Amino acid sequence: MITPLLLAALALVLTGPAPALLARSTWPYRIPRAAVALWQAISLAAVLAALGAGIALSYSTAGEPGEPRFDPTAPRDLAAAAVLALTAMVGIRLLWAAGRVAVGTRARRRRHRDLVDILATPDGLIPGLRVLSEETPLAYCLPAIRGARVVVSVGALDRLDESELRAVLAHEQAHLRARHDLVLEAFTALHMAFPRFVRSDVALEQARTLVELLADDDARRRNGPLPLARALVALAGAPAPEAGLAAARSSTVLRVQRLADPAPNYPLLAATTYAVAAALLIVPTVTVAAPILEALATALD
Amino acid sequence: MSTDPKAPRPLGDLERLVMEQLWAAPGALTVREVHDRLSISRDLAYTTVMTVLDRLAKKKLTERERDGKAWRYRAAAPREELAADLMRDALDRAGDRREALVRFVGQVSDEEAALLREALSRLEAGGEAEARDG
Repeated sequence: MITPLLLAALALVLTGPAPALLARSTWPYRIPRAAVALWQAISLAAVLAALGAGIALSYSTAGEPGEPRFDPTAPRDLAAAAVLALTAMVGIRLLWAAGRVAVGTRARRRRHRDLVDILATPDGLIPGLRVLSEETPLAYCLPAIRGARVVVSVGALDRLDESELRAVLAHEQAHLRARHDLVLEAFTALHMAFPRFVRSDVALEQARTLVELLADDDARRRNGPLPLARALVALAGAPAPEAGLAAARSSTVLRVQRLADPAPNYPLLAATTYAVAAALLIVPTVTVAAPILEALATALD
Repeated sequence: MSTDPKAPRPLGDLERLVMEQLWAAPGALTVREVHDRLSISRDLAYTTVMTVLDRLAKKKLTERERDGKAWRYRAAAPREELAADLMRDALDRAGDRREALVRFVGQVSDEEAALLREALSRLEAGGEAEARDG
């Protein structure tokens, strides 16, 4: 009976306090790659622990290992079946959310790409580059397995010199190469899978920022920090009317301040973060798997 | 001047040219009419134009109607309207649509703009000092 309780507690910690604490910290921004891995581990471990708690509870309710018979008249077996059904429902809800996000994102992106193809002119500077005749400074990428696009508006081109443009394109190509969209999609799916009153934006928000930092680091390695920082400042749009609602500092400020500092290098912090991420995934899995494996071994004897 | 045969996705490029013809035309055009208008500037097969128009219809960017034996195509919406759609999608980061695009930068407040300039000047000063020392 202790396993389901421990797993449920772990799931609660991983969905509530842990993300809140992590979101308030600044150290993840020093090690964006490891921090993304940690966020992924926390999210996945929370799901595994929640599902594991359900499975372990139904299992411990249903009787001893080696006694796998289901008796529909016994209340404990009915309770076990109910718990298992509830667990399955949670799992299905997650899959459903993931599927909806994947389909919705792709449909919207395809429509956007179709519009880009008829409205923007190709530019041979890098493959897939399209120039949009709009005054609003814009630069973004449309990821795809084949035929990804990088869209830059005329307004952005006017504000950038050649080295700054190269930095922007390097940043966008880093997003495309590393398929950062898939990373964000996973966080979005998880975000959508939870009911509105329990979910919080922190995981998704920090993942978005971390992914920008990763692309920044790539662009910085290619062209140095200065062109990218200049481009960020040049394109950080006109003051937004709704910006007052935003947090103390936007990710743009964080990114430029980070570029102003020496290139980040924290091997110990990164290694520790990776170790914690791995442990988070291993612990709930082993806790759930161990009694099942034990029961299997007993049954086979 | 003909197009580079190795150009990536030549059909995508043609879609833009075909749409420009449809936007410029006063009414719906047949494949033949689109082909004639495009042939002034480039050498294109009739079937290519037909394929492109068909693709555009599948993408709901054109609408077609029967006119005797031929199809007549018109743009599904004026250029300005589609451009506005695109910009809305590109700039919209609210609600559940925000995963669609990741923009290079968002908008910033006045204080943030000041912080940005301050950080940049720090970086520029550092770069110059390095250049002097080096």
